[in-house]
Parts: sequence; C-alpha cells; structure tokens
Amino acid sequence: MCISVLQLFYSFFKSLVGKDVVVELKNDLSICGTLHSVDQYLNIKLTDISVTDPEKYPHMLSVKNCFIRGSVVRYVQLPADEVDTQLLQDAARKEALQQKQ
Amino acid sequence: MVLLRSVPPPTEGVRHEQGETTAVLDGKGLGTGTLYVAETRLSWFDGSGMGFSLEYPTISLHAISRDLSAYPQEHLYVMVNAKLNDEMQENAHDDEDEEDECEGITEIRFVPSDKAALESMFSAMCECQALHPDPDDEDSNGDFDGDEYDVEEAEHGQGDIPSFCTYEEGVSGLRAEGQATLQRLEGMLAQSVANTFHMAGVRTDETNGEFDDAVEVDAGSTVAGQFEDADIDH
Repeated sequence: MCISVLQLFYSFFKSLVGKDVVVELKNDLSICGTLHSVDQYLNIKLTDISVTDPEKYPHMLSVKNCFIRGSVVRYVQLPADEVDTQLLQDAARKEALQQKQ
Repeated sequence: MVLLRSVPPPTEGVRHEQGETTAVLDGKGLGTGTLYVAETRLSWFDGSGMGFSLEYPTISLHAISRDLSAYPQEHLYVMVNAKLNDEMQENAHDDEDEEDECEGITEIRFVPSDKAALESMFSAMCECQALHPDPDDEDSNGDFDGDEYDVEEAEHGQGDIPSFCTYEEGVSGLRAEGQATLQRLEGMLAQSVANTFHMAGVRTDETNGEFDDAVEVDAGSTVAGQFEDADIDH
C-alpha cells in the first residue's frame, strides 16, 4: 500500500480509538475488542478482547491486552454509526488524485 | 525462516530478558529457561543450549493472558502464523488438500515465574514488532491506468465522456430519439420550475391565470427561434 493511503487509514483508525471493533485475521480468526491504539503500520492494540467464535478457535483465551500485527489483518469491522463513509470516500479520492500528480 | 535452531540467543538489542520462564509450545511444555525479547528476534533458551527463535514478521499477535479459568497461570501468549513441529523446524507444507492460504498456526505461551514482568514483556514485544513492518508491497491499489475509472479525467471532463451538447451545435445534431428525450426532459424541468417561476419561452402544461398575457410558445420551435442567428449547421 502506498504510504499516503496508509497515512489516511492510520488517521482514520486513530479516530476510532476507544470504540469496539472486530478484527478478522488472514487465518480466519476473529477477535472482538476495544481499539486501544494503532500505529503507522496499522498494527493494532486491543483491550478486553474475546474471540467471536471460540468453538472454532479454542486457541485464543480471554486475554486482556492484545497486539495484532498489521500485516495479518484481513478486515476490521467497525460500528456503522461511527464511520462517516462519505468523508472517507472523499478523502480517499483526494488521496488518489494526489498520487497521480 | 521461522525457527533458527542453532542460532544462539541475541546479545545486542535485547529490550527485555526474562529468566525463569517456562515455554509451552502448542500445549507441550519445553521446560524452564530465559526469554529474550530482542530487536532482531524473539528467543527462548533453556540454558543447556536448546531453544528456538522467532522472526517478528511471523508473529501474528501477542497478548497477556490473565484469565486463570482459561489457563492456570498468567502468561504471555504468542500466535505464530506457521506450523511448527516438535523438532523446532518449520513444517513442510505437504497437505495438498489445503485450500486456505494460511499454513496453520502455532500457539506459544511464555509463563514467567514473576507475573509482574508480563507488562514489560508485552511492551517490549510491541516495540520490537514495530521495528519489523512488512516490506512495501506492490501497490495494492494497483495501477489505475487503462480501463480503470480515472478520477482526474472524470472530474475535469477530459476523459472519454461525451462533451456536452451545446445549442450552437444544435439539437438537430441529435437523432429523433434524442430530440424527443430532450424535449421530454425539458418538459419535466419546466414542470417543476413552473411551480415557482414562469419561464418565458418554455412550454408548460400548467397555465397560470396570472400570466395570461404571456405568449405561449412551442418548446420545439423555441430553440430554433431563439437562436436563429446561431450557426446551426456545421
């Protein structure tokens, strides 16, 4: 991913700190928790986590603090009412234009 | 390479060293040793030379587990995105039926005798993980050339989109179908606008008594009439 788009999403996720999210990893594991922090590589720290499908993935226990490597994240599910999709869309479009120049 | 069996524990860039730490790999206890959270790799050795190292890019996540009902001791949980067997070597990917991209995972628990050290161990791992971001992939957005939607072109009207039909070119440039559509659309427009204003020269179905003295004209002929001096034929 090009740097500035990464920056865009870094800022976006920063605005969601404190919200409950579900992070789906590339190995199909889904983890529910509160977004504690995110860094420039989109590494994610969650608190008060739980596994959304414990029967399928008994490995994960109810741990407290969790650090997820950005590169293993497939999706981050967000609370719909916390996301201004129009704003995000406009910002992404602007970013794409920036890239062309 | 996930595990480096013969590589000794790191001596430089060790952010945290925790002795008296038991390692449990996929439920199998490996004994008690020392955990080294170094900038280059995560290592554990039992003092007799036996141990293993992990490269940070292979660590999907790490966490502190304090739930004693889930596991009897507080520990540092590490999920590695590779399957590791007993010989501490990365398992050859033999399974041909495997549909998924993922090769399996390995869970490792580091159980320190000093539970108070867990926060430091966790933090040190976070710091070291941040030192090993993935190398810049090829732009996952792809190259938006060719067939892709070109934002710039669309917004500046310089793309393949048809230019607007102007009156100078004349509506005669439109085929009959197009002209009919145009008249219909203009009619619709006039309808909605007429509710507020009365536009001279635009035929509307609603006749407002207030403007009885207005000249009613046919929209079809209006165009040509209004721009008689325009150069229609090119």
